Amino acid sequence: MKGSVEQGETSKAPLSSGISKGVAILDVILRFVAFIGTLASAIAMGTTKQTLSFFTQFIQFKAQYSDLPTLMFFVVANSIVCAYLILSLPLSIVHIIRSRAKYSRLILIFFDAAMLALVTAGASAAAAIVYLAHKGNVRANWLAICQQFDSFCERISGSLIGSFVAMVLLLLLIILSAIALARR
Amino acid sequence: MSTSEAATVIPIYDPAVAGKAPATSAAAPAATAPRKFPIPFFRRSDRGSRCVAFLDFLLRIAAFGPTLAAAIATGTSDETLSVFTQFLQFRARFDDFPAFLFFMVANAITAGYLVLSLPFSAAVVLRPQTTGLRLLLLVCDLIMVAVLTAAASAAAAIVDLAHNGNLRANWVPICMQFHGFCKRTSGSVVGSFIAVLILMFLVILGAFAIRKR
Repeated sequence: MKGSVEQGETSKAPLSSGISKGVAILDVILRFVAFIGTLASAIAMGTTKQTLSFFTQFIQFKAQYSDLPTLMFFVVANSIVCAYLILSLPLSIVHIIRSRAKYSRLILIFFDAAMLALVTAGASAAAAIVYLAHKGNVRANWLAICQQFDSFCERISGSLIGSFVAMVLLLLLIILSAIALARR
Repeated sequence: MSTSEAATVIPIYDPAVAGKAPATSAAAPAATAPRKFPIPFFRRSDRGSRCVAFLDFLLRIAAFGPTLAAAIATGTSDETLSVFTQFLQFRARFDDFPAFLFFMVANAITAGYLVLSLPFSAAVVLRPQTTGLRLLLLVCDLIMVAVLTAAASAAAAIVDLAHNGNLRANWVPICMQFHGFCKRTSGSVVGSFIAVLILMFLVILGAFAIRKR
């Protein structure tokens, strides 16, 4: 009788524990991909430097990411999120083994939400500045600097992609953690 | 022996019947004593999650104010200078800047979402065990956090540029001329960031409430 009770208990347990393990493994993979994305963005933006060969009277002939404080904030925000993601990877791996962890998942959700806000703020502020650099603004008399500094412009536009990908992945990570909390 | 007489009822003491009656009358007040409310689903064990759901409802109303105010303040920002100079245009509106347009639209969408999610939040207060509804509210809140943060920080980048300008890119600070426009948009951005903080607290509260005991 005891054996049949045990058999009845374990007949539906492997499926739900399999789903929990799958969710936790997906969590680790997404975290790693987001880490790569933010690292690539920070490096691509941080190594921008373009010097024009000719000298004009009105526009400076050297462009770097540190000339624009918003792009500096972008590099700093991406570095912080990159460091957080690599530091939270061990905690995610622990969640694969121990699926019953409630409060450590809550702490992970809390920090993930804070990092989501930080990376979104950095990426979208930099996107606003990059849009301005491409198009300029007629009303405020702000010139489009991409006409002169084209390789600088290409670099800063391309480095936004990794950051936005990391933002979407962080969103998915929080939803995954919430589903894992609701199931256990 | 005549049937015209009325039958007299003589009460007979039956110990079996009398033993049952006081027991049932004593059990009834004992059964209803722990239930104070007549509604059957107000249980004492639900009190914690019900409080959390009520706090969620209140915070939603609190976040609705700043987003609506930011959307309206940005949407009605229009400043025309009385003096005309050669190099600068003399009129500034929010749709001259695509970042402010996105900011206003995102705030309007968030304000509308907060109003529409109020009935769902009230339903969670009435039935605290629903995990599916709580999960749905959490996912939608998270998406709204991302959208609102993106809009608020894009507008903040433009506002910072309008206040300080940029020497390298030769961008002049336009706040020197357009005072009212600048103050309005700066205040809207601050209000929007306050709403972002409230929404993030809502997400964390939702994740806290969703955990299974």
